[in-house]
Formats: sequence, structure tokens, C-alpha cells
Amino acid sequence: MTATQERVRPDNAAGVTELVARCDAAGQKVCIVGGNTLEGMGFPPEREDVTLDMTALAGIVANERADLTIAARAGTPLRDVATLLAAQGQFVPFDAPQPHYATIGGTLAAGWLGPRRHLYGRVREYVIGSAIVLADGTIAHAGGMVVKNVAGYDMSRLYVGSFGTLGVLLQANFKTALLSPHARVFLAPLPEHTRERACAQLAALPIRPASAFWIEGFHNAVDGEDGAEGRILVSLEGSDALLERATRDLRSALGRAGVPDTHVVDAGAREAFERVVDAYVACLGERSITYRLFPFPDESARCARRLRELAGHFALHAESIVDVMNGDVVLRISDLDARALGSKIENFDDALHDAEPRAAVVAGKHSHRPFLRVWGEAPAAVDRMRALKRRFDPNGTLNPGRFVGGI
Amino acid sequence: MQTHLVMLVKDAAVFRSESTTMLRERLIEALGVEAVKTAPEDLAVYAFDAYTDGAPPSAVVLPASTRDVSAVVKIAREFGEPIVARGAGTGLCGGAVATAGGIVLSFARMNRILELDERNRRARVQPGVINLDLSRHVAASGLFYAPDPSSQKISTIGGNIATNAGGPHCLSYGTTVNHVLALEVVDHRGEVFTTSIDDAGYDLTAALVGSEGTLGVVTSAWLRLLAFPEAVRVWVAAFGDIDSASEAVSAIIGAGIVPTALEMMDSVITRAVEAAFAAGYPTDAGAVLLVEHAGVEEDVAAAETSIHAIVSQHGARSWRSARTAAERAALWAGRKGAAGATGRIAPNYYTQDVCVPRSRLPQALRAVESAAAENAVTVGNVFHAGDGNLHPLLMYDKRERKQVAAVVETGNAILQCAIDLGGTISGEHGIGWEKRDAMTRIYSTADLATMGRVRDVFDPARALNPEKIFPNGSRCPEVAPP
Repeated sequence: MTATQERVRPDNAAGVTELVARCDAAGQKVCIVGGNTLEGMGFPPEREDVTLDMTALAGIVANERADLTIAARAGTPLRDVATLLAAQGQFVPFDAPQPHYATIGGTLAAGWLGPRRHLYGRVREYVIGSAIVLADGTIAHAGGMVVKNVAGYDMSRLYVGSFGTLGVLLQANFKTALLSPHARVFLAPLPEHTRERACAQLAALPIRPASAFWIEGFHNAVDGEDGAEGRILVSLEGSDALLERATRDLRSALGRAGVPDTHVVDAGAREAFERVVDAYVACLGERSITYRLFPFPDESARCARRLRELAGHFALHAESIVDVMNGDVVLRISDLDARALGSKIENFDDALHDAEPRAAVVAGKHSHRPFLRVWGEAPAAVDRMRALKRRFDPNGTLNPGRFVGGI
Repeated sequence: MQTHLVMLVKDAAVFRSESTTMLRERLIEALGVEAVKTAPEDLAVYAFDAYTDGAPPSAVVLPASTRDVSAVVKIAREFGEPIVARGAGTGLCGGAVATAGGIVLSFARMNRILELDERNRRARVQPGVINLDLSRHVAASGLFYAPDPSSQKISTIGGNIATNAGGPHCLSYGTTVNHVLALEVVDHRGEVFTTSIDDAGYDLTAALVGSEGTLGVVTSAWLRLLAFPEAVRVWVAAFGDIDSASEAVSAIIGAGIVPTALEMMDSVITRAVEAAFAAGYPTDAGAVLLVEHAGVEEDVAAAETSIHAIVSQHGARSWRSARTAAERAALWAGRKGAAGATGRIAPNYYTQDVCVPRSRLPQALRAVESAAAENAVTVGNVFHAGDGNLHPLLMYDKRERKQVAAVVETGNAILQCAIDLGGTISGEHGIGWEKRDAMTRIYSTADLATMGRVRDVFDPARALNPEKIFPNGSRCPEVAPP
């Protein structure tokens, strides 16, 4: 990695196209950044001649309230979109960390998967149109502002999760969902013997919670408790009548699992949910690395327990969040200081991937991070992905080396 | 819009060329004689899908396995023959027609449900599985497969994946792409690869779904299943005219209510449906809305109150709730059989599939009405109102040249009107052969070239379903002389 030569922050599309075309012609490498909230994902760039900061290309392009659609420039913070939509009773379930800073473009490029997707769907399902700058400076549009569209390939969905390696996103159009009028959060301690049963009970609830987390550790991340004991945080969303019934169901389900006492929070419920999502990528200075895994829901509680035991073998401290509804496991590994972590993390990474080949790094500022398998094992179709990259960006101008398989 | 029957006979005569005989022998050698069809009468059967034009393939092959598909693609490559994958042939845009000749791969024999993972609500199926058969198969587990195109009694999962098929319930559940978890695909060289939405890297699954067989041949798919909702209710609201009904639709969505399905039928359609099925629709209304809401009992009850109030404000003459599951099923059977029921009005119909922003629905419907009136074409509207996805059925007799020309003209006007309203040329049926030249009306050369880059990677020789999606530039099917 060489030192950055230039940082550019264009506030219009022409600024982006000119820069990208110029760099592509000159053989310069461009790294694209948004709010830097997911900087712990992906490999560091092979080379970075120009940093393209997209945060000035921000703002809502169209807000079609009655159509339930919205279009925003790539640098728009998620919070801005959410605030505008909430005022008209709508939302898009981005559910990414630090929404004040996280941008539309960055969140889509990272293919962020939020904890409410089991209920509302993935963000990719909300993207109905896009504009992108290709490496040669061409602008290409896809889709539009209609909610159903099968005219040609679904290019917008292909860009979601492409980590900025196919082009620079200028704008994305979304369909929106209806915001539930009420939200409620339940917090309860989760003694050792209740954990797996509680998870099974939650997954089987007739009214699906918007999210449900079993959290071990993550001091202060959720409820201000010290995190020594496992806890559960469940959020419900819906009408008053729905919440009333869901609350009764939930209490009796947790009671059956032997969970002692449940604390209900209505005010600040959405904030409590957001604090958990923030914790997904929260770093402990330079002494932590966070992985994310995607087992099936019925395997996730056991998976989390196994991984915590594995960390124990390496005398590493492990904290975990199990997304009970989707099955995701977030695992934060830390040690007393960066040096101690550095002495073990690569061996741990090997052992982790022996057990869970798809584990990906989502956060961590430790200097050994580039040497870990940050994307997990290469997907079966990685050669086709490389071919796609070559066809879109033959000179390897955009975000070189940051993606899966060194794309 | 004119059939090529004369051409069929002529092509069949030319068929027995030496190279074709060799091709046939190689295919039989690889798959057995039962799996290969080359008799002219067989080829004629596979010359058409549900679009009006057809073209005969060189051969039809019925693979029984992924290995068979791979073998056929390799042989086709050797002989320079294109590959056209085909499900049930219910596609409306000529997407399964071998317009450039070649081998039609029919998936009629690859129709098994391979695995059901109840706990994780997913199933792995072969592409020839019929859409409705999957839902029936998993119903005992309390599960269903959400995408429900009107053709679901016969259309296949493979075809649904190729077109990213929709259906009435896509209003709340989303189209096919939202329900495909992983794919097994045979590429243009006959090699097998897999994709999964959970894989790191590019979302190749999203690129393949809706690519109309131009990027690979899907040989199995993991699909997402949903649990039955606790409560389902279906209502029918009758209006004096289509204008007030479409205003009501825009008002329902604008009020922040998204029912599970929100369908509209005009009087031309309801009369045909009642004559055919006696489904329970009022025949004296100018338009009816079929509304379904599913979910938790409390929410369904609340939705009923709100929707009833809105349709009343917009002049609904009557509001009826289906009281039993049988009544609900009858209403849905009528809706999904609507296109077929128009056979009572005219021998042929042509469907448009434009989609407009939902608030533009009233304008779009007025434009449909005036375009049809101008050309003296009978039009029936039956469509996914909640999504803004119109399906005007233009009725005609294909033996009457004037009528064909009038339908072509009307279809074109509707297409242009949807584009002018900020809409698209296909909401769910696909581009196929029919609309490929219309792609330039909504996409720039650069936009299309970007899609072409994906094609370059997956099908550099354009051997997989050629002459589909991408415009030819010289040929415009909508204005082709009869």
C-alpha cells in the first residue's frame, strides 16, 4: 500500500465521472469512501493513488410519498433518508451501524445485511433503480422509479454488495415500506441453562419479533449493564393491538424457557435496537477483531457456543451477538492489548475458518487484519466474479484488491 | 404478430440436412432416443410459447439431470447451435422461442422437488417443477411459495426464475428474485456452477434471476418458503367506473396501506369471468377491486376498516367480504383465469405488461382507454393495481388483418404512454423476443452496453437464448407487417 496522493470530494456527478475517467486513463487507482463506518470490511487496497470521498454527493433526488418510492444520491447519510421517510410513515430497513455517518452508497456497496431482514427483506429487495459511474467514466442507469420492472438484467441488484469494484454508485432509488406505529423492546438476563431453549422459543413465536438478540459481553453496548451475564434483547414492531398480543406471547415463551424477568422499554426502543447494530462493528481500540457468520437459525446458538469455546482455547476474550431470527453470529475477539492479540489472532483465524469457512471480518483496527481471511473462503463462482470485474474495470482502477479473492 | 406456420412447414423440410442428422445422432447417443425430438410435428409444437410468433428449433431435448443439460450444451456448442431453455411455454414475450434456431431444452422431465428443509423454510427444486405443485407439496408443513403468476397452475419454477415472475401477491411478498436463495447453473460451455445469496462476492443470483436464459441454464434452485399467515381475508369492492376504482387504489397506497394483493378488473373482464367461472364478481359494476390482506388477525381487521373507508370515500357502490375459504378460492380462481375467459369475447388477445408509478395509475388507465377507443379495439383490464402493473388485454381476431394492425397500434401507444408517465415496458412478463427493440426507448446505449458486459462474461458467443432482451436495431416486432 502506498501513501494516498490525492483526496477528492466532488459534489456533482460530473466531478466523479471526470475523476474516474482521468485516473483510469492514467493508470491511477481510486479508492471510494463514504462514511467510513464499515472500514473494517474487506482487504486494504492494493494501491491507493486517489481517495474518492463521496460524502458531498448527497441529498434526496425524489421523494414520491404517494408512490412509496424515494431516490437519493450515494453520499446521503442513512439517517437523513430515515428521518425524511419516518415523517411520512415510511422506512427502508437499512439497519446499518452508525446511520448518521453511513451513506447510501457505502451501505449498498458493502451489501450490509440488517437484523430485521427476516421480516422486511434485504435492502437489495428495496433497490429499484441506480446510476453508476463505470471505470471508463461512463454513466449507466438501471431500473427506475417503478416497483416492478423486469426490463433487462437487474443491474442495480448486482451492484449491491459489489464493494465499489464494478463502478461508483451515484444514486439509488428505493421502494419504501410502511413504518410500524409502535416499537417495544424487551430486555432480560439469560442464564446459561436457558439460552438455547430461549432462542428456539423466540424463533417459533407466532408473531415474529422485528429482531431478537442473545448478547454475551459488549459492555455498555446495549443496556448499560456490564455484560458479564448473557442477555436477551427482543424488539417488537406493529400496531397497539399487535404489540399487546405479541407481548403476552413473548412473556409466556420466555417463561417456558426459564428466563427469569423481562424488562419492557417503549420509549427509546428503536435506539436500543440501533445500539446493538452499532455494536456489530464496534472496536476495542486496536485490540479486537470482529467476525460475522451466517449459520442457519437453528444452528446459530450452538455455533456461538462453539466459537466462544474455540476462543477460550487460544486464551482470547470472546463476546458474541446471536441474531436469533436470521441466525447470524457476531463474534468479537479481543485481548489485553494489540500485541497480545497479534500473537494469537492469525492462528485463531485459521482454526475459526477450519470450523466455519465462511466467517468474514467486519471490524478491527489491528495491524494483522490484512493477513486474516477477511472474506472467508472464496465462493464457488469466484472465477466468474473475477471475469466480471475484468469486463467492468479492465485496468483494475476501482477499489483494487479490496474484495473477495483479491478482486 | 403474425404466425409463421407456412415457414414452419418449409423449415421442417429443410431440416433433414446432414449436419442436423449428425446433431440428432449425437444427442441421442448422449441422452437416449426418448429424450430427443426431431420429427417436424414435434418441432412445430415447440415453435411457440404464449406469444403470437413462433419459430421451429432444430431439435427439442428433454434432459433428466444436470449432467444431461451439460452434455447437451457441449454438443450444441460443437455444432454451433444456440440453446433455448423452456419451461411450460407460458411466457408472453417469445422468450422461449428458438428465433435463431437451435436446441430447445424442455425441463418437463426435471420436475422433482429434491429437498424440503422445513425448519429453515426452504426447498430445493428442479426447474421443471410447476409453481403451484411446490406450494401444494409444502402445504402440509404450513408453508407456501409466495410468487404466484396467474399461470401458476402450469408455469414452471425455471421459467419463473428466467423472467423474475411476479403475480398478485408480489405486492407484499416481492417478485421471484426475493425468493431464490441459491442456484445451480450450467454455463455456455456446459460447465456447472453454483451461486448463493449468502456467498461473499458479487450477487450472481440476482444477475441470473430475470436474465431470461441468456446467462446460463438453471438446473436446480433453493427457494424461500413462507409460513401460512394466521388470518387471510378477501374483499371485493365494486365501482361505477374504472377511473374511481383507480383513484381508490392510489388512495389506499397513498394512505400507507399495502394489502397482500390489490387487483383490479373492469367490466369487460368481470363479465367474461362470471360467464366462465361464476366466481362471485358483480357484473353490473364498471370496475371491481379484489383486495386481500393476510397476517395477524388484529392487523387484518384494522386493514379491513381502513380500506373499506377509503373505497367508500372514492365512490364504491358495494363492499363484500368473502365469508369462507371456498369463496376466497373462487374469487382468486376467477381472477387468475381472467385472461383465458376472454376467449368468449374474441378468439385472440394480446397483453401489455407496462408498469407505472402507482400514483399515475388513473392517468395510465385513461390513456389505455383512449388508445383502445382511437383504434376501435376492445380492451379488458385485469391487473396488479397495487404495483401499478397494468395488463390491458387487447382483443382481436388474428385472421382479420385490420384488427391485428389496430392491436399493434394500440399496444405501441400504451407502451409509449407508460414510458411518458415514468414507467417501464415490462413489470413482470419479461422482454423476450417481443420487446427487445423497445429497450432503446427506456435505456441509453451506455445502459444497454453495461448489461452487455454481463452477457459478455456469461455468454460471449451469444449462444444462450440469442435474439432476446437486447435490441436488434433493425427489427421492431411491434410494427412488423402482418
